[in-house]
Amino acid sequence: MIEVQDLTKQYGDVTAVDGITFTVRPGIVTGFLGPNGAGKSTTMRTILGLDRPTSGTATVNGRPFRDSRTPLTELGAMLEAKAVDKGRSARNHLLAVGATIGVGRTRVDEILDMVGLADVAKKNAGGFSLGMGQRLGIATALIGNPGVVMLDEPVNGLDPDGILWIRNLLKQLAAEGRTVFVSSHLMSEMELTAEHLIVIGRGRILADVSMEGFIAMSSQHKVIVVSPDAGRLRELLDGPDVTITSTEPFRLEIDGIESPRVGEVAAANGLVLHQLSDIAPSLEEAFMELTADSVTFHGSVSHEGTAA
Amino acid sequence: MSATESTATAQNPLGSVVGHPTTMLRVLNSEWVKTRTLRSTWITLASILLVIVALGVISAMVASGDISPQGGPGPGRARSLGPLATVLSGANLAVLIVAVMGSIAGAREFSTGMIRTTFSAVPKRLPVLWGKLIAFTAVYAPVVVIGVIAVFFLGMRVLDAGGAATVNWSDDGVARSVLGTAYYIVGLGLIGLAIGVLLRSTAASIGVVIGAVIFLPALATALLPSSWDEVLKYLPSNAANAFTGNGQLGGALLTPGIGFAVFTAWIVLAIVGAAVVVVRRDA
Repeated sequence: MIEVQDLTKQYGDVTAVDGITFTVRPGIVTGFLGPNGAGKSTTMRTILGLDRPTSGTATVNGRPFRDSRTPLTELGAMLEAKAVDKGRSARNHLLAVGATIGVGRTRVDEILDMVGLADVAKKNAGGFSLGMGQRLGIATALIGNPGVVMLDEPVNGLDPDGILWIRNLLKQLAAEGRTVFVSSHLMSEMELTAEHLIVIGRGRILADVSMEGFIAMSSQHKVIVVSPDAGRLRELLDGPDVTITSTEPFRLEIDGIESPRVGEVAAANGLVLHQLSDIAPSLEEAFMELTADSVTFHGSVSHEGTAA
Repeated sequence: MSATESTATAQNPLGSVVGHPTTMLRVLNSEWVKTRTLRSTWITLASILLVIVALGVISAMVASGDISPQGGPGPGRARSLGPLATVLSGANLAVLIVAVMGSIAGAREFSTGMIRTTFSAVPKRLPVLWGKLIAFTAVYAPVVVIGVIAVFFLGMRVLDAGGAATVNWSDDGVARSVLGTAYYIVGLGLIGLAIGVLLRSTAASIGVVIGAVIFLPALATALLPSSWDEVLKYLPSNAANAFTGNGQLGGALLTPGIGFAVFTAWIVLAIVGAAVVVVRRDA
């Protein structure tokens, strides 16, 4: 359980996190979403005790993490994969970290095996690829078998195999009753992993809802139809409260009618359908909708309105 | 991930390990693992021993006329240092090496980012600083002490064989100077470590330790009018000169006892500064 209460963190004049309050519960994967610069890492650093809050509190299992007697078994965290000494092998790195909770070679070898680094355990971490570094960071976070797992952008640099692995791992950890808190700026990834979402933008909480709730917050549900008789079908379906758009021949995007009804209309009129599908708005779209106003770093394209 | 591994993790993803409380002793063990798993530790230890012993023996050979410096007339400048300073001449270089290693030991984790992993494992932080100081001392002090004692007896035998003047271990102030030299070397390493933690940059802390702590006092003593001596003798390396017997720089020195106390105070001051900063500053 992670509890953040009225947390504010300022760096000089910059307010990175602005009075946020939320709770991360055990048993589910909680996604922490936000554009770059939204305050995700700052929040995680404060929970971990690396940064001192300007005001407010962050607690792990009911107390500040600094007061933990067995830190690594309470909270395992990876904030950035590069938090290792490049001159040390993966195995020695984990031996040094594990020594703080009195675990040794057996455990280190076990965790290396688990994250798939057993073959390169004796190689210097400096020579690791981004993905291998990420796996070592995850091994570091999990070595103490922690009840709370907090990972900042864990899929960064992982290959598809690795992404699938971390996704399943996080779900398993949550299913065991652990608290799993994972940040990402990749909505598509969160959509597949998280059950609950905390969305942050410009240092403030924009949403703290279940995944379904988050998607439901967005309005755009559509039915896609591909048919050689698209023109005829369009006429039959048209009506009040129905919006039909077509961006290519034979393909319709329908808003306002459920897909079963579309199929029935087509069957009743003997029209051939090549495709009939529902499209929920992707989390990505819902997220863009929500955070449109709170993105700190816009690309120049999004400023077309203000361009001279 | 192979299929077998996936199956294994499906049953018990993290294994069944139960961690133990993070005590000072466990943090110290962690710092010891870090120290011994860096190859540079062992290379440096070997070079420190080599520098102290080899330079001391060579200086003794030069002083006793066994070998002569290029173009020189045999027993030269080295003899004027006195037998003790001659055999301990490698210590001046060893001081630099240990001070640099101390700076690296203090700053390294901050420059690599490892410190965030370390502070996540030990969020109280202070035990990490104590662990680093103890591990550093445990690794370097024995080698430095063995080095100065070895070179004292080896060097005196060389001087004696060459018919040059020697001193005995039991002579007044000799043991104090030899062991004091070891204390100075290790102490500056600890000051370097503390400054490394304070500045978080390997390069900057090496610069400060070597420039401000080792060279500046010597330079100031040589350049400033003697009315400054009352102040300058309290600077770290000048205070140390009072008990290492290495006071060829002129300038009024403290008594050995007070010099020892003042130098120790500098070490404590640096460590206290590092401790305050480690606890307060965001990592």
